[in-house]
Amino acid sequence: MNFETHQKSARRHFLASGAMGLSSVALAWLLQRDGLLAEEVKPDLQKRVFDVKPKSPHAEPQAKAMISLWMQGGPSHMDLTDPKPLLNKYHLKTFPGKIKYDNAAEASSRVLGSPWKFSHRGECGMELSELLPHTGEIADDITLIRSMQTGVNNHNQSIIAMNTGKIQRGRPALGSWLTYGLGSENEDLPAYVALTDPKSLPVEGVSNWSNGWLPSVYQGTVVRSAEPRIWNLQTPKHLRGMPQKRFLSYLSNLNRRHLAKRSGELDLQARIASYELAARMQISAKEALDLRGESTATKKLYGLDDPVTEEYGTRCLIARRLVERGVRFVQIFTSYQLWDHHRSIGSDLPAACAKTDKPAAALVKDLNQRGLLDSTVVHWGGEMGRLPVIQNDVNVERFGRDHNTYGFSMWVAGGGFRGGYVHGATDEWGHYAAENIVKHTDYHYTLLHLFGLAPEKLVYKRNGREQSLIDDQPGRIVSELLKRPV
Amino acid sequence: MKDLFSHTVCATCLTWRRWTRLSTIVLAGAVVVAFSIVGHAAERNEPVTFEKHVRPILKANCFHCHGEEEEIESGLDLRLRQLIVGGGDSGPAIVPGDPEASLLYVRVRDGEMPPGENKLPVASVNIIRRWIADGAKTLRPEPTEITRELRITTEERQFWSFQPIRKPNAPHVDPGLRGRTPIDAFVLARLQAHDLGFAPEADKTVLLRRAFFDLIGLPPMPTETEQFVADDSPEAYSRLIDRLLDSPHYGERWGRHWLDVAGYADSEGYTDEDRERPWAYHYRNYVIRSLNADVPWDQFIREQLAGDEMVTPPYQDLDPVEFDRLAATGFLRMAPDGTATGGIDLPLAQNKVIADTIKIVSTSLLGLSVGCAQCHNHRYDPIPQEDYYSFRAIFEPAYNPQSWRSPFGRQISLYTDAQRATAEKIETEEVKPVRDRFENRRRELIEITFQRELKKVPEEKRAAARKAWETPADKRTPDQKELFRVYPSLNVNNGTLYLYDQAAADELIKIEKKIAAAADTKPKQEYLRALTEIPGEKLPETRVFSRGDHTQPRDAVSPGELTVLQSDTFEVPVNDEALPSTGRRLAYANWLTSGKHPLVARVLVNRVWLHHFGRGLVETPSDFGFLGAKPTHPELLDWLATEFIASGWSLKHLHRLIMTSSVYRQASQSTPELSAHSETVDPENRLYWRKSIRRLEAETVRDTVLAVSGKLNRKMFGPPVPVTPNTAGQYVIGTGGRGGELDPDTDLDGEESRRSLYVQVRRSRPLSVLRTFDSPRMEPNCEVRSFSTVAPQSLLFMNSDFSIQQSEAFAQRLREAAPDDLAAQVRRGWKLAFARAPSEEELTEALAFIEEQTAHFTEHPPAEKKSEKDSEKESERPPEFYGLANFCQTLVSSNEFLYID
Repeated sequence: MNFETHQKSARRHFLASGAMGLSSVALAWLLQRDGLLAEEVKPDLQKRVFDVKPKSPHAEPQAKAMISLWMQGGPSHMDLTDPKPLLNKYHLKTFPGKIKYDNAAEASSRVLGSPWKFSHRGECGMELSELLPHTGEIADDITLIRSMQTGVNNHNQSIIAMNTGKIQRGRPALGSWLTYGLGSENEDLPAYVALTDPKSLPVEGVSNWSNGWLPSVYQGTVVRSAEPRIWNLQTPKHLRGMPQKRFLSYLSNLNRRHLAKRSGELDLQARIASYELAARMQISAKEALDLRGESTATKKLYGLDDPVTEEYGTRCLIARRLVERGVRFVQIFTSYQLWDHHRSIGSDLPAACAKTDKPAAALVKDLNQRGLLDSTVVHWGGEMGRLPVIQNDVNVERFGRDHNTYGFSMWVAGGGFRGGYVHGATDEWGHYAAENIVKHTDYHYTLLHLFGLAPEKLVYKRNGREQSLIDDQPGRIVSELLKRPV
Repeated sequence: MKDLFSHTVCATCLTWRRWTRLSTIVLAGAVVVAFSIVGHAAERNEPVTFEKHVRPILKANCFHCHGEEEEIESGLDLRLRQLIVGGGDSGPAIVPGDPEASLLYVRVRDGEMPPGENKLPVASVNIIRRWIADGAKTLRPEPTEITRELRITTEERQFWSFQPIRKPNAPHVDPGLRGRTPIDAFVLARLQAHDLGFAPEADKTVLLRRAFFDLIGLPPMPTETEQFVADDSPEAYSRLIDRLLDSPHYGERWGRHWLDVAGYADSEGYTDEDRERPWAYHYRNYVIRSLNADVPWDQFIREQLAGDEMVTPPYQDLDPVEFDRLAATGFLRMAPDGTATGGIDLPLAQNKVIADTIKIVSTSLLGLSVGCAQCHNHRYDPIPQEDYYSFRAIFEPAYNPQSWRSPFGRQISLYTDAQRATAEKIETEEVKPVRDRFENRRRELIEITFQRELKKVPEEKRAAARKAWETPADKRTPDQKELFRVYPSLNVNNGTLYLYDQAAADELIKIEKKIAAAADTKPKQEYLRALTEIPGEKLPETRVFSRGDHTQPRDAVSPGELTVLQSDTFEVPVNDEALPSTGRRLAYANWLTSGKHPLVARVLVNRVWLHHFGRGLVETPSDFGFLGAKPTHPELLDWLATEFIASGWSLKHLHRLIMTSSVYRQASQSTPELSAHSETVDPENRLYWRKSIRRLEAETVRDTVLAVSGKLNRKMFGPPVPVTPNTAGQYVIGTGGRGGELDPDTDLDGEESRRSLYVQVRRSRPLSVLRTFDSPRMEPNCEVRSFSTVAPQSLLFMNSDFSIQQSEAFAQRLREAAPDDLAAQVRRGWKLAFARAPSEEELTEALAFIEEQTAHFTEHPPAEKKSEKDSEKESERPPEFYGLANFCQTLVSSNEFLYID
């Protein structure tokens, strides 16, 4: 299970409330002991209290919540966000430089120009592709980074780097770190939510929202697209409503009768209360996932009236509702390799855009009109971009592009990020990030900064070592991206 | 930074680190606490002395910089009074009789020392002031210099847990107080001193349930309940205990307790890869078998520490005794071991394996945090850093950092000679020919593919392209490289063939399968995970590591017991010539189990007490040192320890002694009249005026649900039952579902209902049902379990698949036992879940509840998941079934089910 709320429990338990930092945990250690024997106060190395109670960050935060629109597979930056006229000029000619291919069999050295037109959008004049018409409408609200780089091969490592800080498997995800450091503003809802695609899980599956070696209370809770929407939090269908109400009431009777003969047992009382809390959590979750109260205009904004955008739009709308209710981190996943256009990019890329463009833009607009954008980071992007040359050089219908982790784009909005700004650039071919390179570590430094967390202080002790999201890797707060530069 | 990575966690190290790395604030995970532990406030009339009152404060807070390091800060050594008076660069640190003129006092009072945020508590500062004011007295004349022996003071040697165990006489108590056994006399004596007494004896059914969970970790079944309740003889209870001690489930239950402190895991941990350990389970099975056989614990310990030294190498064609002795050394192979993983700092990883093993051995058997002396002298306990490395030297000939073996390299093959010969024959006659065929065919296919790709190259360049292809990549000329740049698809090789021609790749896979099939006809090779020495190997030299940093070795040390525990009669040999191995571990194991060791028996009986009462007589079962709790009943602890040794180290004897005592047989609630007083005097029940209630442990929760639902598969032993993630990231029993792309197969033909003890303990994949109820993390072991009461546990009972499935199985079982008789079904369910019959009121309420729920399900028939299996059952699942299942769910969700009185 994914989130816990500690009750004042057994006599022996002395739980501190959760203000972050030294004092609270120190308190937890200072168990009063030996009441009859000696007046001693001792540290208790066994008791570490982990919870999702709200905690104060190290510095004044600008961002309080984050929604990451995770575009798994590698959206083609030269077709979407990073125009490269040179490609069209050299279309089908031999690429003059060296290319780092992933798939040798389908590799070709012929350049692929972009068939889609770019235009200047917003007051800032950000150049965006015709495949992202709605993103164009929020150009003045977003910072577009064209110089992302993880530099590690293939989807898996790059996903892990973007999502957990390093390329080793098994580490805590970004959302786990944020909830570890900050807790949640709403203890009746999961602090960290993963909204998965009904079709399939993305590459790396469930480890995308794994707490790694952080306590399991910081694991992402999956809100599935089908019943049960939340594991263990959602009542099985046949018990929903009155049956479970009666169940809880009957259980409470049994427990109270049991307690009456054991008066003063705090743990028994705490467990009775924990069923009440569990029931409250169910109601909160149900309420948060119920879109019936949303206006027609809102639903339309997210594209809920169109079968192409309905599903993704629903998840974006749920994300807004969760953040509105105090959830710290929400990540919306696309299906397995949605953006991995090795072939047929001409038809598949527009389809992926059609599904996501409108809802993603709607989310930013909606947060903005509700005054939530200033405190909510929205992130759009995946683990890589694509190559300037053709993959599958068979016929134009089958043209695709291979992986590229050396240069790609993503955008961020809200929570202290600037609007209407383009940062960095790739080389003239779009292969390598060339100017103002932003590595995944820089991105993480910057995010933590906006949440008021000092990267070197947000650490977890494990095997005698302090570990962090950054873990001694070089990186910097990318001040240029911020409304309030450091 | 390096040293920071190499030591284990301990409060003291953290304190020190705080001074050296002020910039780091550790969030939540581990924090430094200012505490005033040592240096108990001096009794009012007692003169304050250096040895007794002041030195412990300085040792914990100051010695590190002022005495123990090679460089002494400001030239001031605080380890002796004379050195303090002599002072350092700033002159004398104290002026006896004049605190205000004493720098030592002034600087700690003003918070200038120690540096960092941890200041001395006022009480400690006041002790220093009083000491100086009274003339800065010592208890006895001081030595002129500090030798290794003198690092441990007389006061430290006199600490309670280092004293020999002596059998105390049971105190005399009034026979009217229900004292049955000497245990009761010890407990009653303390109770009486506080004007308290025992609670009434628990009901028979309460005792029954308590005994079942304590000894076998499973609930009594109705026939067992009825049999016991009906047995009016005075021996009924002791017979029950005997029956349970004879149950094969006893070893599973008590084996689990020992596996906690041994840090049992089916994976290597350390790195995030967390490789599986396929053969660790032989050790788990050894533990279960040994406990069931009541193998004397002196033998059990000797085997675990030195079983290999009791078997003559080579370790082949093992008989059952040899097998057990080697399997037993798995105890020393439970620490996380990442040394088979690539891309790590190998010496660091090796060092960690040894450090964690020391932690496991010392916390489980010595009850001391020896690991805290890895980087510096122990801050609180008299364990100099040299002692840590002498202790480590006992294990180093087997671990041998100078000739490290990976986890695979340490395995012992269980092939018999005959099996080995068969395997070799199959390899040459059946496997190799197919393998050759595979190689040939692969070459052909690559050639064909390459020729096809070559056609895409203009004809005039083909010859050059072929030449380039035939040249190894790192030897190609610039022209050849250019060809590959322009025609990247020429890059056909073993690794990329599948990208060009899936059919060709499939063909090769087919042949590979044939290779595997041929290889599969070899006798299955199993291994033991064991720790052994290699006879004749050059002995590693153990050196003290400066600040615990393995890259900074200093003086060499010889193997030995901790100085404070040493005995005249015992020595660890450097190399016992009578044995093929060094004999270090064997000698040490013999000393630990000699009956003269002050800690081992105390630590073991304390753990047994802990598992019967929910709390040890020493509340910190792995810390009998200065930071640990003092025993609530020191004489009882020693009495139990001597009794344990005298009984031939029989654990079952100890259970009988404890469980037949009146203190154990008390009810969990006292009478109202007694309670009020007892609650006031002793709210924590440290004096045992009642039996404290306890929650079931994680494994027991799951096992008990399975037992009452009738699904429990009581099969014993075997390899671990696999755990895998499902789409929601929950870890469930099952196979497949890799990466969560598919839902795993969770129907394992009954294996999914094995006892939790047999479920794979993969450190990074704890079974979600167990973790929810606080199953331990093995990092590297679990010294004592914690119990939480949190909403996810409630949600699991309310909504989880596990809860629903087991409740339905439970209902099915009741319907089969008492068809068409709902009241009988309720009674039986009650008895299964709570080991008692429901009262009339409870029965009426239950029937009404089921009736209401049934009415609902009649109106709203639950739509079943349609699998073939389910639809067959559909007719057996009328609304009443769902009503009853929901009732069953209530039973297993209730406190009466989850707690033992």
